[in-house]
Amino acid sequence: MGLINNIKSYSETISLSTEKKGLLNSFLENGFPTIKDEDWKYTSLKRIISEDFSIEKNGNDIDASEISKHSLSFKNQLIFVDGELISSPQIKGVTISGYADFESRNNDAIMNLNASLCKNGFSISVAKNTVVEQVIEILFFTTTENNFSQYRNQIIVGENSEIKFVEKIQNLNNSTSFVNYFTQINCDKNTNVEFNKIQNNTSNSILIDNVDVYQKDNSNCDVNTLIFGGNFTRNNLNFEQNGNNCESNMNGVSVLDDNQFADNHTFVDHKSAHCRSNEMYKGVYLGKSKGVFNGKIMVRPDAQKIDAFQSNNNLLLSEDSTIDSKPQLEIYADDVKCSHGCTIGQLDDEALFYMRSRGIGVEEAKAVLTYAFASEAIDNISVSEVRLVAQKLLADKLNVDLDFSL
Amino acid sequence: MLKINNLKAGIEDNQILRGINLEIKAGEVHAIMGPNGSGKSTLASVIAGKEEYEVEGGSIDFEGVDLLDLTPEERAHKGVFLSFQYPVEIPGISVSNFIKTSINERRKAAGLESMTAKNLLKMLKEKMELLSIDKGYLSRNMNEGFSGGEKKRNEIFQMAMLEPKLSILDETDSGLDIDALRIVANGVNKLRTKDNATIVITHYQRLLDYIIPDFVHVLYKGKIVKSGGKELALELEEKGYDWITKESDKQWA
Ligand SMILES: Nc1ncnc2c1ncn2[C@@H]1O[C@H](COP(=O)(O)OP(=O)(O)O)[C@@H](O)[C@H]1O
Ligand SMILES: [Mg+2]
Repeated sequence: MGLINNIKSYSETISLSTEKKGLLNSFLENGFPTIKDEDWKYTSLKRIISEDFSIEKNGNDIDASEISKHSLSFKNQLIFVDGELISSPQIKGVTISGYADFESRNNDAIMNLNASLCKNGFSISVAKNTVVEQVIEILFFTTTENNFSQYRNQIIVGENSEIKFVEKIQNLNNSTSFVNYFTQINCDKNTNVEFNKIQNNTSNSILIDNVDVYQKDNSNCDVNTLIFGGNFTRNNLNFEQNGNNCESNMNGVSVLDDNQFADNHTFVDHKSAHCRSNEMYKGVYLGKSKGVFNGKIMVRPDAQKIDAFQSNNNLLLSEDSTIDSKPQLEIYADDVKCSHGCTIGQLDDEALFYMRSRGIGVEEAKAVLTYAFASEAIDNISVSEVRLVAQKLLADKLNVDLDFSL
Repeated sequence: MLKINNLKAGIEDNQILRGINLEIKAGEVHAIMGPNGSGKSTLASVIAGKEEYEVEGGSIDFEGVDLLDLTPEERAHKGVFLSFQYPVEIPGISVSNFIKTSINERRKAAGLESMTAKNLLKMLKEKMELLSIDKGYLSRNMNEGFSGGEKKRNEIFQMAMLEPKLSILDETDSGLDIDALRIVANGVNKLRTKDNATIVITHYQRLLDYIIPDFVHVLYKGKIVKSGGKELALELEEKGYDWITKESDKQWA
């Protein structure tokens, strides 16, 4: 019983290279992280891993209407169903294939598990000097009940190229699903990459989402994370700047209710000079929801003239919601600009009364103020369809019929 | 239109309004004057429905319903409008989006469809002209970084857009220079009809040169201690409040 045992049994049914066996063994020895690990202090997997998940089981076929219901309807779609890549677009200068093995440089327990047993995912390679105008939408569907699955994806963006993504992971049944997901993004010189994550899965979905971004000179990479759904979400978002004049941007909006839990762990490793990083995470907590934010910024000795900005602002809209927020700065260079701030607050009563006195209902007024609070991060997203989805999901979540755009 | 009867309200143990009586008919303009701290803004807030204030007694009859039974938004839907002494900054929402939401929420409550974008834009343009507001202003965030005068003008702009039956202007003149004051007062006058009414709260006579009141009331320590016609404002300008407040203090002692 329990996830670890099921993983062990599953691993005995497949053949693994010596190297992967090693990774698996190191995972099995220590198991999943516990709250004794500093990085998992506020985030317990105990309940989750005691459940009896099947591993990487195939499920049912799904029809097109199911797909369109959950998609943002971009022309270029990459669609997975229970691990299998069923549709992939043809784009000039972009090579797309299914899972291809690659090594990751991070090796904590979760990543070792992914590296050793994962056999699904995508590999996207963008040639030099390619500007991909159309957004690529990546959809992962799960149909199997109570399933644990893993994805391992790699994106390589060649010099002077540009590309944008929107990604969704969607469970199509009411059972619990657990996805351990990893994407490595390699940004070569002068690239511009935007990756948008819409995390709006069903209310009993569990997600551990790992993203490692490696940047070379003059590259710009944005990762935007919108959390509205799911039961448990842990995002590990890591940026490593390996070239001068890089920019790394992170925008996050979490709007949670009921017993939802979401943890954003970010790490920016400034290894080179003249680089910037901006992170803006906004959390809105209703019901008994709980949020965690941990933002680590490392500035290495050679990384002079760094401008690193981090903010985590939270609105607690109920008595029973909580947030644990922690900045972690390690600065070993002397000529850097580094600022961080965390706020936890409620909606402003004066502003609420002001709006109500204009005829805006109390729930709507709260929603408008909440939207206003989150909009600073939402507005940083360049893909208008994603901004619209964020507005709509926010209105849905707050139970109002309002259009925030004009 | 409005009949306030023996209204008593306060915060915790502090009674701020100590029995207000006031009747306002459609088409009238009433000025409420009085020294700082006499309860003018509190009265305005209680009429608009600010929940912070506890109403201890009395009633506020507005066209046959007691406003005290309604939420602030329901009062607004009925046509009550408060121009705030201190308008609130709402970052993240543009002036146009805010006004659109206000109008449509009111229409929703009345069972009407949302206003079309075309009609909304037409109306915005018309009212902006009335108040000499330039276009760039619509996309600015609500009151954020506005000067005192801009905030006040924005209040009257909303009033023009919402077309209320009862407008309460709380110290709308403060923060306005003389040109802006003329423009705003002219706007308010143009919006006057025989079917709506205005309460002008001010402690200077100046505004009342432009918005001529039918009645002037002096509020002191939570009571209306004197009422008269527009000449009362001139008298106050000349003699100050002392002659009235001293008299009242003597009576209450
Ligand atoms: N929110 C509040 N909390 C505590 N006291 C208040 C509050 N609002 C008003 N008061 C008090 O009530 C009195 C009247 O205030 P206010 O209505 O603002 O006067 P005015 O507008 O006539 O200057 C003042 O003494 C003020 O301090
Ligand atoms: Mg006042």
